[in-house]
This record gives sequence, structure tokens and C-alpha cells, in this order.
Amino acid sequence: MRLYEYEAKELLKKHGIAVPESQLLSSAEPPKFTVVKAQILAGGRGKAGGVKVCSTPGEAAQAIQEMLHSTILKEKVDKILVEEKVDSNSLHYIAFTYDTDTGGPVLLYSDQGGVEIENKNITKIPLDPGCGIYTTDDNKVPFDTWPLYQVFAEQDCRLLEINPLAIVNNKPIALDAVIDLDDDAFYKHEGRTYPPRTPGAGTMSEREQKVKTINDADHRGTIKYMELDGDIGFLAAGGGGSITCMDALLAAGGKPANYTEYSGNPPTEKVYELTKVILSKPLKGLWIVGAIANFTKVDATMQGVVQALEEIKPDFPIVVRRSGPNEKEGIQLLEEAAEQHNLNLQVFGKETPMTQTAKIITEKAYGNSN
Amino acid sequence: MAILIDENTEVVVQGATGKEGSRAVRLMKEYGTKVVAGVTPGKGGQEVEGIPVYNHVQDALKDFPNVQATLVVVPPKFAKFAIKEAIENNIRFINILTEGIPIKDSAELIGLAKSKDIILSGPSSVGIISPGKARVSVIGGENDQVNEIYTPGPIGIISKSGGMTNETAWVVKQAGLGQSTVIGMGGDQLVGMDFVDYLELFEKDPETKGVVIFGELGGTYEDKIAAAVSAGKLTKPIAAFIGGTFAEQFPKGIKFGHAGALIEGERGLPSKKKQLLREAGVLVAEQHHELGELIKNAINK
Repeated sequence: MRLYEYEAKELLKKHGIAVPESQLLSSAEPPKFTVVKAQILAGGRGKAGGVKVCSTPGEAAQAIQEMLHSTILKEKVDKILVEEKVDSNSLHYIAFTYDTDTGGPVLLYSDQGGVEIENKNITKIPLDPGCGIYTTDDNKVPFDTWPLYQVFAEQDCRLLEINPLAIVNNKPIALDAVIDLDDDAFYKHEGRTYPPRTPGAGTMSEREQKVKTINDADHRGTIKYMELDGDIGFLAAGGGGSITCMDALLAAGGKPANYTEYSGNPPTEKVYELTKVILSKPLKGLWIVGAIANFTKVDATMQGVVQALEEIKPDFPIVVRRSGPNEKEGIQLLEEAAEQHNLNLQVFGKETPMTQTAKIITEKAYGNSN
Repeated sequence: MAILIDENTEVVVQGATGKEGSRAVRLMKEYGTKVVAGVTPGKGGQEVEGIPVYNHVQDALKDFPNVQATLVVVPPKFAKFAIKEAIENNIRFINILTEGIPIKDSAELIGLAKSKDIILSGPSSVGIISPGKARVSVIGGENDQVNEIYTPGPIGIISKSGGMTNETAWVVKQAGLGQSTVIGMGGDQLVGMDFVDYLELFEKDPETKGVVIFGELGGTYEDKIAAAVSAGKLTKPIAAFIGGTFAEQFPKGIKFGHAGALIEGERGLPSKKKQLLREAGVLVAEQHHELGELIKNAINK
């Protein structure tokens, strides 16, 4: 879970890390300080006008008026953090995260904190995964990093990033903070009361929100949906299978109307709802595809697809490639529905490799089959 | 031969009394794997699918001192305790099916296993199979399907995606080739054994003539293959498919596929991985179904 800046700073404060004096506003109250910061989850807030450094409280009041309830980076601004201005010419970048190169936690550091950190030299220091101490003598960090590591470890963060961290009177103070909490570790922190949030929710389309609601209402299996600009509906099983098939569809010249994946043996009902959302766009074709499943029952998931097809009776071409437990029954369901409702549907089993059917649906959808 | 497991490997299952655990025991036993015992604290003295259950790993080892492998299929809350128990009792090979283990726990366990030269595969691994010899965990599902897809032969397979393990073995089989050992590496961001670790084992296995890789966007595990091949550590032909190239067309920060499939800045881009692999001499398939023919041509040269 990504925390808002004010939540991240509250956590830091709890662990004894210095942060600027501040007030959190959700209505236009008189400011006590002059740095005005929109509380949104998206990165790149500063460049998008979400941070105003003012010179007087009057100016700050004006900035608050403009920022509150506005939309920045497609996110609605409901809260504003107003902070004291901290002057320092010693700004640093520091982050803790997990790294696939070292296979454990790392510290990232640069003595040039601030915006556009991507273009600056960042030193990576591997940490011992048990106790967090540096596993290299190459220590360029001019302040004690232990208190920040404690926050990272004790709060089960996947990312703790302070940019910039200022040194004032030889003491570090966190001017900004990004914290990503490990969702898998929430059971270790029972007192947490962060309200649910969806990063990028403001950018979600109606169809995307609908699928999210359907998914959250039933814990069995997972469905994901992302709306795209094309005209071939895409219904794919499994994370790895879905990304592989999207690659194949684009390579074949197909334009996907959406990205989807379903996994973990979702119930018939969930697949039915997902299929209906996919079919609610104007389409030229529908591709139902998946790798050979371990346990996801082909007949149960195809039952959901069939229900949606019987309801909507699309006249565009449909290509199916599915294999796994109860595949014969699943294929039979589809073929029966096709005959009964006169659907333009072709079914393949595992004898045809999954990615080869990308070309078949593309040719059928765009009518240049030969 | 094969790597890591064969018909003589004695296996325990930690979490054997659960729904998923007992299914794994049944599937493994049916396949012919020597599953000798289950472990679930508090359930010692019971039986699952005809094998005895013990409270702790060390109790099982008293009766079965030759155990060399364990399958961990316990809820994420108890995974750290269970895996530590396996490491402390020096079980050589630990395969973790459990999903949703906190990354801090994973990092600590991976470090601990490395310091004792214990092979940790997973978390979130769908399992491992040496066709015709043994399987650990649920890879392939029911055994009639397993027997259709997995047959003994010269190709090793390592897949980052559990769901793509069957499909990858299948395109290899369609090219007329069987497999020496097939491994689901695990979908988490951090896993114990990575591609290079398994490739080094395949390098030493005389039965394996070539290796097929299913990689994906995010992380740097595929980059390490390129480095190891360039350094001359891996000499057998390798054919790889890297999924998720399409995601480069979308804004950063959108998550596709697994937890491990998160692109971090410029790192982890599939196009960059493919370029690094090609430069090192790895065969890269643009389409997944090309993997079979690619590796077949390479080993017949």
C-alpha cells in the first residue's frame, strides 16, 4: 500500500525521525506555514503544480484555495499538507528497498537530492537481510542511516524513499517521504487503520472500476481488466499467459480493446461478469485464450463465458484456445452454444500452441483471412 | 540423470494436513515420488494419504534420516517458522509453494539458506518435476495431464511464471523433445534460486543438452543470464522468451502479471533484457511457440 506523504511522515515521526512542522488541512483554514503540498499518490507531483513554496502565509492561503479540491495528475486533492519552510544547501537522496541483483535489501544514496533524481549518480549499498548492516565498507552516506532502516524494517516497507533529506545543524530532516508498505505483511501490524485506496483510481475508466468492484466482492480467484484503444476483446487466463498473449496479439497486428487476466480458479459468476464488461465495447473480434492450466477448471470458467455470449450474441468472430482440467467438457459447452446461437466461434485445444491463435483471431477480425 | 530431484529423493511435506498440502501429497505419491512424511505442528501422529504426520521436521528426520527435500505449503504467517525449521535441519532442497510471504521474511530466509548452501526454490513456486522420476509440488496438476505434457528428455526448463510452465514444456514436447527437469522458479520479486543458479546445475547435468527459459518484465534475473553466458560459465544452448514487451507502450507504474513483474525505472524492460541476452549469444524467441524449434535446432547443431 502506497502511503500519502502525511501518513508517511507520521510514521517517521513515531520512529523519532525529524520532519518539518506542519498542519494537515481538508478545508481552507488559515495556514500557519508557507509550503503548500497536495496530498496525492502519484509521483511527479512537484512538476505538476502540486507543491507551492510561498513567501507569506497570505500567499499560502491563496495557494491552498486554488489547490484544494482541484485535480492534479488525475487525482482529486482532498487534503493539503502545509509545512514550515526548511532552508538547507545540503540535500540528499536516500531510499531502502529490495533488489533482485543482490537478492536482499539495499540502501540507495545520492548527495544530490531533489527533483530529477533519475539522472544523478546513485550508490547502491547491499544490506544484510537479517540485521540490516552495510555489507560493504564503501560508505558515502554522511549521516546515520540506522533510524531510517529501523522504520523500513519494523514497518515492513517494500520502499522507503526520502527525497530530499536535508541536513540542518548536523541533523537529518525528511522534507518529503514515499512509503510503500508490504501488503503481505499487514497481518503483523494489527493497529493500522489506513483507509483503502487504489493508486491511479482517478484515472480508472467506468469499465475498469466495474471489474474492480466485481473482483473485490468475491475473494475466490482474481480478475483484472484494463481498457485499451483497440477493437479485439481479450480474455486471457493467468498472469504469465496474459502478458505472453498480449505480445503475440500485437505482433500479429491485432489491436486489443483491453488487457485482462483471470487466475486462481475464479467462480463461473466472476468470469461471466468479466466477459460482459469486455463485450460492452464495440468490437471486431474476441480472443479467449490461456496456457494449459494446472487446476483452473476449463468447463467452469467457460460456463461463465458461454452465459455472457448467450446473452449478448455477438456476430463478430470469436477464437478460443483453452486447455487444462475438464477441457473436453469446456470445449463442448462452447461448441454447443455456438451452434444454438449461430455464433462465429472457433475452438482450439492444446494441439495448437496458445500464441499461434493470435494470428487466427487477427485475420478473422480484420477480414483478410486467406 | 536430472537436477535436484529424482526417483530416489525422499521428500517431506510441511503443511501436509491442509487442503492444498494433502492434494500435493496425493499428486506426488501418485506420480511415484518418495513422499515419506508430513509435518504439521499439533497434528503429529495423524496420517495423510497413507504417510505419517509429525509435529516438527526434526521428529520426521528421526524416522526418515535420508530426507533430502521438503515442500513448504503452509499459510504465509507460518512460512518463516517452517522454512527456518527446514534450514536448521539441513534439508538440502526446499521448494516453497506458499504465496504472499512478506518480502522481509523472504529476504532473511534467502540469506540464511545461502549461508548454509541450502537450495531454496520459490516462494510462489509451482514446483519441480524430473519427468518419469519424481515431482515435487503441484506442477502440471493432475497426473494424467502431467503425463501428456512432461516426458523424459534432454531439455531443462526454468519458468518465472507458474502458469506458463505447462505451456512451455508443451511447445518443447511439440518439437519432439522431452525434458530433464522442469522448474517453476516462483513469481515473487525476490526468490531463492534464480535462472543462473539453476542453469549452473543444468550445465553439470549430462542428460541436459539445452535449456529453455520463460522470463518476464521486471527485475534483473534475466540480465544475470546474459552476464553468466558472456563470462563463459554456461556453455549449453539456451533459448529464452521474455513476456511483457507490450507493457513498454503503457505508462510506468502499471502492474501487469506477477509481483515480480514490476518495472523499476529503466531496469526490467523486456526489450532491454532481450537485447542483453542476444548480445550474449542466447537464442531469443519473439513468439512463445517458437521456443521448441529454436532449442531443437540449437542442440542438433
